Order: sequence, then C-alpha cells, then structure tokens
Amino acid sequence: MVYTKKSPALLIIGVVVLLWGWLNAGGSLDGVQKSLQRSAYSDHMKVKEKFDAEFRVASEMAQTESKPAPDMKMAKSKFDEAKAFQTTMCYIFGGIATVLGLLILGWSPKEGNADYYLSIFPGMAYMLLIAFLVRWGLDPIFANWGRDAQPTLGWNFASIFNLNYVVLGIVIGIVIVNVFKIPDWAANGVRTARFFLKTGVVLLGALYSATELAQLGAISVLMIGVFVLGSIGVVLYMGRRMNTGNSMTAVLASGVGVCGVSAAVAAAPVVNAKAAEIAYTIGTILVWGVGCMFLFPTVGHLLGMGPVQFGAWAGTGILNSAQVAGAALAFDPHGIETLKVAEIFNITRVLFLPIVVLWLATWYVKHEVGAEKVDLGKVLIAKFPMFVLGFILMFALSTMGAFTPAGHYQGKYFSSEQIKEDKLLKGKETRAIEGELARLKEPAGAKQLQDHFTEKAINIGQRHATPEDAYKGLAELIANKKVSTREQETLLAAVGKMKGLDAVTANAIDKASKAAYHSSKTIGAFRDWLAWLFSIGLIGLGMQITMAALKQAGGTPLIIGGVVGTAKAVGSLIVVLLFVKEFI
Amino acid sequence: MKTPIKLLLCHHGTAGATRAEELAHVLAVPGTTTLVHCLVVPEFWAGMQGDDWLNNASTRDAFGDYVENMLENDAKRELAGVASRCKERGLAYQSVMRFGNPAETVLVVASEVGADLVVIGSPRKKGEEGLNSRMELEKLVRGLKCPLLIAPHR
Repeated sequence: MVYTKKSPALLIIGVVVLLWGWLNAGGSLDGVQKSLQRSAYSDHMKVKEKFDAEFRVASEMAQTESKPAPDMKMAKSKFDEAKAFQTTMCYIFGGIATVLGLLILGWSPKEGNADYYLSIFPGMAYMLLIAFLVRWGLDPIFANWGRDAQPTLGWNFASIFNLNYVVLGIVIGIVIVNVFKIPDWAANGVRTARFFLKTGVVLLGALYSATELAQLGAISVLMIGVFVLGSIGVVLYMGRRMNTGNSMTAVLASGVGVCGVSAAVAAAPVVNAKAAEIAYTIGTILVWGVGCMFLFPTVGHLLGMGPVQFGAWAGTGILNSAQVAGAALAFDPHGIETLKVAEIFNITRVLFLPIVVLWLATWYVKHEVGAEKVDLGKVLIAKFPMFVLGFILMFALSTMGAFTPAGHYQGKYFSSEQIKEDKLLKGKETRAIEGELARLKEPAGAKQLQDHFTEKAINIGQRHATPEDAYKGLAELIANKKVSTREQETLLAAVGKMKGLDAVTANAIDKASKAAYHSSKTIGAFRDWLAWLFSIGLIGLGMQITMAALKQAGGTPLIIGGVVGTAKAVGSLIVVLLFVKEFI
Repeated sequence: MKTPIKLLLCHHGTAGATRAEELAHVLAVPGTTTLVHCLVVPEFWAGMQGDDWLNNASTRDAFGDYVENMLENDAKRELAGVASRCKERGLAYQSVMRFGNPAETVLVVASEVGADLVVIGSPRKKGEEGLNSRMELEKLVRGLKCPLLIAPHR
C-alpha cells in the first residue's frame, strides 16, 4: 500500500506560511500584530520612546560639539523579538513544507519506507499550521477579548476558562475530527502527535535538578501509589458487587486507576476484554478526562494553587494522561513549572502501568473460569514505556553538564568568569558597600549581622556563618566588583536581605548575584521547543477524540468510573491542599 | 405484497436485528428470494485508541490486532448463524461485510446488490444497554430506492 496521497495541500501550507513570514518581516502585518500583541506593542512603544529621547540628546550633544550624528541602534523590544521569531519559524517550516510539497506532487513513491515517511509530513504540517494559528492568532485574540470584557463582566472570562493556546488547540482538534473530518492527506501525519508529546517529555528531562526530581518523585510515588492502587481496588470491588463481568471490571480498573485510555489499551488484550467493554471503558475515560481538563485549571486558579500543588493534583486526579499535560499547560500556559510537576506524575503513572497490568492479569486468571495464564515477564517488558528511558538519559546528561555546567538549576548556572564588563559594580555602588562595611564592623552592626545569620540559619559548609565571613565577602566584592564563588554569593545574598541595610548596597549585592548567574542557551531553547512540541502534540491528540467514542460512555462502567473518578479528583485535591506545599 | 427477489437484511447480532431476521424469513420465498446479509462494523472503532500516547507502538499494534480479530470473529459468527438459518429454510444466501457509517454503507450495498427490499430492526429502546451506533433513519429513508421495512419491538 502506498501511503503518500498526491495532494497540493502541503505545498499550499508551505507557501501560505512562507508568505506570512515574508509579509511579517517586511512590516506589512504590523497593524494586525499591533492589535494581537498589545502588551508586546506597548513595550515596543516604551523602548522606542526611550531610544528617541536618547537619540535626540545624543544628536544635540553631537551638534554642539560639531560632530557627526551618532550611529545608534534601537534595542529590540518584545514586539520585535516576537515578530522576528514568527518570521524565522515561518521561513524554516514554510521552506521545508514547500520543498516536500513539491516532492509529493512531482514524485510517485513506491511502497516502502520512503513512501511511509513522506506520507507523514502533510499531517505534521497541518498540525503545525493549526498551532501557528492558535498561538499567534486565537490565543492573543481571546486574551484581548477577556481583558476588554472585564470591566463589563467584572471578571476575565478568557483567564477563568483558560482559553489559551493549549485549550483552544485541543478544542480545535476535537472540532476538526468531529465536524470536518481529518483530510485523507493528513491522516497519517496526525498520528505523529504522540511522537511530539513523547519528545517533549524527553526534552523535559533536561530541566530538572536532582533535588527537584527527588522531591517530586517521592511525592508522586506516594500519591500515585495510594490513589492508583486505591482506585483499582475500589473498581474491582464495585465491579464484583455490580456483576459487571471479570474482563469488564479489569479493563475498567486499569483505565480508571492508572493512566486512562493508555492503560485500557495496554490491559484489554491481556484480560480478554470484549469489544463492547473496551468501548464503554474508553468512552467513559474520555468523557471524564475531557471534562476534567476544562474544570481542573479553573478550580486550581479559584483556589489559588501554585505550580507544585496544581501539577500534583492534575497528575493524580485526572484519569487520562493526555489531559494531564493539557490541564497543566492550560493552568500555566506561559511557563513550564506546572508541566514539569504534572509530567513527573504522568511518568510515575506510566511506570506503574506494567505492574498494574500484571496485577489485573493475575486477578483475571484467578477469577475467570478457563482463562489462559499470561506470560508475566513478556507483559512486563512489552508494557515498559521506552520513552521514559529517553527522559532519564536527558536528565543524566543535563545533570552531568552536557548542556550547561553541572549543578544548574532550571537552566541557570553560576560562573564568575563569564561576567561581562558592563555587569561589574560601579564606583557609586562599591563606595556604598564600603560605607556599609564600616558600619557593620561597629559592635551594633556586628550584632545585627550575627542575629540575622542565626535567625536565617545561614551556613558556610558545615559551620554557621559569622560577621567575619560577611566582612571578608564584602571586601572581596569591593575589590573584584563581582562575586567570585558560589559560597560568597550565597553569603552575600543573605546579607543583602538583612533588614536595615542601605538600599544601594542591597541593590548592588542583588545586581552582583544576578550577574554571576547565566542562562544556558541550550536549556533555554529546550524550554521554547517544549511549549511547541506539547502544543502540536495536544492538537493532534484532540484530533483522536471522536464524539462516536465519547458516546460509548454509559451503563454500569459510567457509574463506576464516575464514582471512582470523582472520589479520586476530590480526594487528591484534599491531600494536595493539606500536605503538598510550594516548597520545590 | 410483491415477493422480494433481493432482500437486504441488516443484521449485526442485536435483539432488533434478530427480529428483522425473523421478519425477513416470513417475507422471503425459497427458490425466489435471495437473502443478502449486510453486516456493518461501525466506523467508531477506528477512533477506539482514543488519545493514548503513552504506550509503545508494539502495545498499540497489539491492541489494534486484538480488537480487529475480535470484531472479525464476532462478525463471522453472526454471518455463519444467519447463513445456517437461511439454509434450514432453503433460502439462497449472500453476505456483505463492510466497515463504515451504518446508514451510508447500507445505501451503497443496497444499490450494489440491486435490493428490492431492505429489512432492519427497530432502534434500541432508551436506557437499554448496547453500543451507541444508531442507524441514521432519515439518511437511509431519503437515500433508498426501494422499500424499507422496520421490524417492530415485541
């Protein structure tokens, strides 16, 4: 079978995207961009006003001194950066799509790998085009409408209902598959949505510190352990009481208990689930998952939850794993902190999957007369999620310093050597520090320092910090005009937060600290790409949610799924609010 | 009523389909009528992997094969059942198995085989358990070029 459909669709997408990039670069779309990106444009106007004023002063000074007009360049505003980013993306992906679109029109591949791989590009471009439309168009439009309607409504509907690029992307995916149908030429490529999401999770591995991973891992194992095992136990009990049949009970337990549709897909053949049972289970999970994806972020905002609490709640309480990622990004669309927490919970769930499938297979064989025994070892290997190995590898590489010096935290690392000349402390600042140093050496100042270190439990290595350590650190800061070591930075940062410290000195210490931390370009790029990968992946997954599948929810499975799903969502919310703190 | 030459029976094993089969046997005349059994596997099965993304490709393939085999075996069992009952009554029997939208598929098959009567079961009563894949009656009635008979509930 030849998969590649001879269609001009990819070429058209490529040309449209290239055209947008070209018009954008030339400034023809500035009017549209201005209305879409209001906040970035307001930043642009501020930068421009500042530049105009500086240029005027510099020109007047040059005129006074009879020198030629200065050659000054305006700093890039957020608006310029956003436009430049759009243009680059359009040129890269529009170019690739155009070339491949021409190839599809001009070449008739034979059955084989080349045909198969070529057939996925139109669908990928289709998802990417929707991602562009949603991120650059619909997301800012809804944000603007929400702000505009706020004075009348008294609340921002776009913010409360999380009408951002993530939710809108998934909704568009669902609308496309159910109303318009996925075009034939895109069908094969749309299935690569899973690849985008898995790649996103693998890249995410580079963004955790060892401490973060250890803390989040411990919470997730505990919470997932309790709620997964608990909900499976309840489904098995309810299923037996309500006579739903062993295979129905087992497949429902896996779906409701572990990670939704993925778990049902993994468990169904092992527990010999019947066709109707699979349909009921998947329908029930999808209805529940999609509902939760819209409900959870709104509740999270109303309860004032932070990234750790929300990530932990969504990661435990939402039945279906795809909607966990969706809800996390819907809650926090412009950062990845919530996603980082939620995905650790997702990974923990999927690591539980082979064990749960084994448990259910054993349970099924025990309760079903004539059931064939399953090869437990084979099941364990087949169900192990391979992409988790990629996640672990990225984490290991990142921790060892492959992308940025080892020991970085969220892509930021300490380096005294890389501090630029213009980031060194100025004379006014070092003089202020000198003044404070003299004051702190007086008995009253020394006592103030000692009390502050004791209260905040500031340590240097294994011992408590002393005023002498602070004097030495401040003297070195004055001499070098920058912080030299991480220990010195930790100590001085503590000094900078002391009450009663001169404001110029406090600001100078803060400036010196910030100058010593650098953002890894690689990690920064990972963060940017992650949002795109998840965005495209979730649009594609939205296209897999059909109304026909949702309609299969019903009967006893819906009752059991509803009871256990609600109990899991409410129970995990209570546990999170009581025990999970924003401490990571 | 004219004796049907090609009677298209839509049968997929439900209670309604069984009643349709009984009605078809009443109307069919051995030696004159050929009973064409149309079995449609509803298209919603194509979306039954939902939004699974965590599983390895091998697990998804295993699931796909499992569901496909199961549906095929269920369908073969139904086809064999109707065929044997036709044989008992001395009726000529043909079968057509398709995947797609039930109403659209029946329209296509009716036209292909030149059916002069289509017999279907009545829709399931509300609240009765079963897969949610109803025949779109309006689409069927508007598109058919021959009479349609709906077997009533008992």
